[in-house]
Amino acid sequence: MKHILKYSFSFCLLLSLFLAQAQETTSTKPNPKTTQIEEILPEPPKKVTKKLPEEKVLDSIAPKTNRYGLRVGVDLYKLTRGLYDSNYKGIELVGDYRLTKKYYLAAEIGNENKTTDDDRLNSTAKGTYIKAGFDYNAYENWLDMENIISIGMRYGASTFSQELNSYKIYNANPYWDEVPSITTGEKYNGLSASWIEVVTGVKAKVFNNVFVGFSLQLKMLITNKQPDNFENLYIPGFNRTYNGDFGVGFNYTVSYFIPIYKKKAVAEKKK
Amino acid sequence: MKKIILLVLLVVFAFSGCEKDDICDANTATTPRLVLSFYDISNSTVLKNVTRLKVVGEGMTEGVIFNASASGESKYLTSGNTISIPLKTDEDTTTYSFTFNSGNANPDLIFVDNVTINYTRNTIYVSRACGYKTIFTLNPTNAIVHTAEPVSSETWIQYISVEKTNIENENETHLKIFF
Repeated sequence: MKHILKYSFSFCLLLSLFLAQAQETTSTKPNPKTTQIEEILPEPPKKVTKKLPEEKVLDSIAPKTNRYGLRVGVDLYKLTRGLYDSNYKGIELVGDYRLTKKYYLAAEIGNENKTTDDDRLNSTAKGTYIKAGFDYNAYENWLDMENIISIGMRYGASTFSQELNSYKIYNANPYWDEVPSITTGEKYNGLSASWIEVVTGVKAKVFNNVFVGFSLQLKMLITNKQPDNFENLYIPGFNRTYNGDFGVGFNYTVSYFIPIYKKKAVAEKKK
Repeated sequence: MKKIILLVLLVVFAFSGCEKDDICDANTATTPRLVLSFYDISNSTVLKNVTRLKVVGEGMTEGVIFNASASGESKYLTSGNTISIPLKTDEDTTTYSFTFNSGNANPDLIFVDNVTINYTRNTIYVSRACGYKTIFTLNPTNAIVHTAEPVSSETWIQYISVEKTNIENENETHLKIFF
């Protein structure tokens, strides 16, 4: 196992090296072309004067402008899950605002209604959550591309209620007939939780100002107000709870970018 | 770009796979049984072994299993000095018949006593995997009702002493039985 892992890592490293090389070749290609043109120069002198301004135009495109603005979208994963999972209803709106070339202010707001059916417990969690933080774009875009491979952090907070629909009493010594699951409908209101999460995500511009992306979140609970004689099994926004404070999440978003202003990014690029 | 997408998807599926693997650990303290210890009536501090004791719940045909590894009838028999019996979690009263010398060839040596335990129940949350457990509180006045079978005969159990009224775990003796 260890060896396979080792090889797969080194293979990935190798692949990434090829990627880097591929990028270099494309950037060095324009140079031989211009030298070729210069070689051709003496033979047709008239054409040269026409080509020069064109090359200057190409150069002037290179100092690209970055667009700044607000991107708003919706999580399709949560939205569509309600169609095939009768135990789930939810929506999440996402938004980010470009602060600098690399940093984005980001936030998500959502509402979930999820019934968790465990072997011995059946409970429904309902509530609203908000998450706010930042994204750092680690992807170096070429030309006027606006793709994002980001890593970021969020602080999340949720207020919700839990309803215990039914439960079973665990009896390790089933001498008497097993007691069937007991229906209660006990509702625990006014629950809350807060957490931090690390988000890695990808957003790609599919056309015009429309972006498609997904992200993976690793979460850690900070506060968790639990009900008496029960437990927060599902926290809207945080998702399923585990024995520790750990949680995971996923979203698949479609968003629209609203450009507000443009800024030249020459100096930063040459560094 | 595609590789990162694949990697993220892989991680997502890896996590989605571990949704349902919660199993209630056998070491978790769940619904406790009633722990009974047998003592010598003439020397009340000394534990005394019973002889081929069989304990059957009211309305049940099979006895409480004391020796799971044994086969046949001896599965239900004990000759020790401590037993644990489960209480009903859906009723506030449980009745057992205690048969001394069960299976003896001479019916005159077989003694049967009925013991009814009266209590109140409390449901306590344990965990996602285990759900809830029941803990019991023995009634302050009529916790134990003890009769012989048939009623006219004498009981083989001389006295039952309630040691703990709160039955929350199996680490302590709840009832002491003197015979």
